[in-house]
Amino acid sequence: MMSGLQQQLAELVGETNLSADGAAHAIHGQLPTLVVTPGSVEELAQSMALCYEARMPVVPWGGGTRQLWGRPLSATSFVVIKTTRLNRLLTYEPDDLTISVEAGMTLGHLDQLLAANNQMLPLDAPWPERTTIGGLLATAIDGPRRPGYGTARDLLIGIRVVEATGRISKAGGMVVKNVSGFDMMKLYLGSLGTLAIIVSANFKLLPQPRATGTLACSFAQPAAAFAFAEAIRASYLTPAAVEYLEGWPVEAAATTITMLVRIEGLPAAVERHVRDLSGMAAHAGATAVQRDPPAELGLAWAQVANVAHPLTATPGELSLRLSCLPGALEQTLAVLRDLARRQGLLLRIDARALSGMAYLRLVGDEETLRGWYTAALALHPQLSLIAATPALAAELPVWGVAHANLELMQRIKQEFDPDRLLNPGRYLVG
Amino acid sequence: MPHTQLIDDLKRIVGPNGVVANPDALMTYDADGCVMDIGEPQVVVLPTTAEQVSGVVRLAARYGVPIVPRGAGTGLSGGATPITGGIVVSTARMDRILQVDTRNGRVLCQPGVINWELSNYLKPYGYQFAPDPSSQKACTVGGNIANNSGGPHCLKYGITASHVLGVEMVLPDGQIIWTGEGAPALSGYDLTGVVTGSEGTIGLVTAAWLKLTRLPEAVRVVLALFPTIAGASATVSQVIAGGFLPAALEIMDRLAIKAVNDMYRLGLPEQADAALLIEVDGVEDGLDDLLADVTAVCWRNGAIDVRPARTLAEQNQVWAARKNAFGAMGRLAPTYYLVDTVVPRTRLPYTMEQVGRISAEYRLPIANVFHAGDGNLHPIILFDRRDSSQNQRALEAATGVMQVSIEQGGVISGEHGIGVEKQDYMTLLFSTDDLAAMAGLHQSFDPNDLFNPGKVFPKGRGCGELAALRRAGVAWESLKHGVN
Ligand SMILES: Cc1cc2nc3c(=O)[nH]c(=O)nc-3n(C[C@H](O)[C@H](O)[C@H](O)COP(=O)(O)OP(=O)(O)OC[C@H]3O[C@@H](n4cnc5c(N)ncnc54)[C@H](O)[C@@H]3O)c2cc1C
Repeated sequence: MMSGLQQQLAELVGETNLSADGAAHAIHGQLPTLVVTPGSVEELAQSMALCYEARMPVVPWGGGTRQLWGRPLSATSFVVIKTTRLNRLLTYEPDDLTISVEAGMTLGHLDQLLAANNQMLPLDAPWPERTTIGGLLATAIDGPRRPGYGTARDLLIGIRVVEATGRISKAGGMVVKNVSGFDMMKLYLGSLGTLAIIVSANFKLLPQPRATGTLACSFAQPAAAFAFAEAIRASYLTPAAVEYLEGWPVEAAATTITMLVRIEGLPAAVERHVRDLSGMAAHAGATAVQRDPPAELGLAWAQVANVAHPLTATPGELSLRLSCLPGALEQTLAVLRDLARRQGLLLRIDARALSGMAYLRLVGDEETLRGWYTAALALHPQLSLIAATPALAAELPVWGVAHANLELMQRIKQEFDPDRLLNPGRYLVG
Repeated sequence: MPHTQLIDDLKRIVGPNGVVANPDALMTYDADGCVMDIGEPQVVVLPTTAEQVSGVVRLAARYGVPIVPRGAGTGLSGGATPITGGIVVSTARMDRILQVDTRNGRVLCQPGVINWELSNYLKPYGYQFAPDPSSQKACTVGGNIANNSGGPHCLKYGITASHVLGVEMVLPDGQIIWTGEGAPALSGYDLTGVVTGSEGTIGLVTAAWLKLTRLPEAVRVVLALFPTIAGASATVSQVIAGGFLPAALEIMDRLAIKAVNDMYRLGLPEQADAALLIEVDGVEDGLDDLLADVTAVCWRNGAIDVRPARTLAEQNQVWAARKNAFGAMGRLAPTYYLVDTVVPRTRLPYTMEQVGRISAEYRLPIANVFHAGDGNLHPIILFDRRDSSQNQRALEAATGVMQVSIEQGGVISGEHGIGVEKQDYMTLLFSTDDLAAMAGLHQSFDPNDLFNPGKVFPKGRGCGELAALRRAGVAWESLKHGVN
């Protein structure tokens, strides 16, 4: 039997764009009652308005690569609204270095459009062939080139969203500098679809570098690798990425440590970086330094962007994100590594060595993983789970502990989504 | 309650030296750098701690008197102007740099620290605070945060928002909160991000962790002179489109050149209609190649001279001329009105042509000194305020500049903010729904409109009203009709 909502949605988007088979869109084992795939921003807004009228909770869905993130939904029935048909290029002015695209476009597609003009949006989100722009922004996921170019926070110049009632609103514009009105981009970015559904986004772009280079520096001890990172920080050098990899690639021993450095810029500047960085790595005790390592090493940048982001939750595996002050990274990782060793867990680390961000993957039995996370949180409250089994996601504090300003955040949520329809229960707030 | 009671209560919080109530002294606070609007405060307080600010805010809430945060008052949109009276909270006495933490790439300061002093303080450590408004010798970091200010080097390093790691602020209910301290990607909403650029309407910043930026190893500065402003603008467009990444690209036109020549004896040729200041920075290697490439673009666009600033002293002199150009405007006319808008960079040559047309149409000279690399124009309308016809024409010319900028796909403010100056132009850019979303954010912080009321949102479209409209789901109703 078709519900009223189902009928209305079918009329709106057409039968072929509505499905009652939720199996492909399960979230921690919870199945949506309907999956609707609107073909335009207006259709999406009207779909949202219909759900609002029925007070039906909604899960915005892009490429589905980050739906493991967060707690299980607090609602028993919900509708998935997919942005995948909103995949159009809206405006691209290569000579202005700006672009506007719909939220369902994949990062991979966007990269291709830009590459044709020797330009780039250096966000390096994992799984670019599936990751949509909307999902990338809602999760504020970062990439290895964070030290060189920042994150979406620095490159997003305009946004259009559909709010919980179905209202469409925008902020920002198509210029690289703009203080006309509040910076709503910052509000929606990283809000995990709990305040509004992002339907299009404008970015400022960068020219592709004239030259690039990668150095893979092997170290026997974390301390030596971090001494190298500290030397880079104190220097005039400006590498695009400085990635600390421990236990990667998967085939390597858990104790394998590689500092993978990417340099981008003018040819002479790249050569200078390679020279200086090689010397600094050796000075810090690197056991080997290799320029542009061969693919067999399993450390291509595209792979590195993916390593810490599993697409499925594997029993006996936990994937999480750590955030701390950049200078505290080495010590924080040491404490967590020690804890993992004592509990007999296999730990792999992918850290942005200059930025205070790390992605951790742990393998062990569920009981031990639970114990480790709880103990780890007591030592370092700013952890969040990015992939865990439904049981652990339901039970553990997914977003870490000891948060400040929850009441204020609740007030924002209350103002934007008083009926708790957008991704209810999944994020820290709402 | 009587005024004297309020003053006594304030004195109890900030001490007798922290209260300014003498009418003559209050006049200093009746406007910011934008003299188009004025409003006299009831009283000014100069707190020294967040706790004092909180006390003042609670008191204001009790009396129902607005709070107007104020840094150095160099703002150009009336942001610090007490347009509806109230208590001006000046951060002048909260001017200490508290901690430089190079290992974590951050510095902790109070809001009243002067931008220039901060960068000077950081120099021996090998760092800078990258946002460098031309007013940096006077403006405060609190004002920079509130306005999300820019500066010449933001072309490469990004605007203030990219350099604020976390703030301590007093909310309109008197609560003191910290939004972060430098760890990236905290769970929860980005409160640091939303308070930056909120023009003192949702929180009063009482301390901030700011990001340190390494000073570059090498810097090159050249000044390219053009016979027309079109040539300089086209050069900027092509440098950007060509994928060069200079640190700064600033244009000064003939009027501005004349003013700074008079003041700084730069000896720039006054037959040049425009000077383009180009800076590139980074590691030494490759920098000369980059500069040669950029210079080639200048020649292709008809430059008449390209003068390198070879020594640090020469570089400083060129930059001083640029950054003090507004100050030199006093030599050209009794009053100036600076209009801050942005256009896509390919639209710069055409827009500058239109600015010339507007100058002719309204019979007022317009000087131009601007952040060309970002497409951020600053036509400076020169007039005499005492002449009401000129006054009127200046306002109309400013509206013309905004209209042209919007037509060209641009916006009404790149860095100076909306304040009172541009609040009524917001509807040129934003729909009611757009404004209502902003009002929603505002209301979740300041439901009683205590902080800097009557700003940013269009007059007669108060944010309370907009937010109510939003809650009533007006747009949703119209959508529903669309479905049926
Ligand atoms: C000659 C000249 C050149 C300029 N050049 C530039 C430029 O290149 N780039 C640029 O972006 N701007 C420029 N400006 C504008 C202005 O200097 C900046 O906006 C500056 O950041 C304002 O700082 P201030 O301390 O003077 O703030 P004020 O003018 O005192 O206040 C500005 C706004 O911030 C709020 N505010 C101040 N302190 C706080 C606080 N602690 N907490 C919350 N809110 C607060 C005020 O209420 C007001 O809304 C220029 C101005 C002049 C006069």
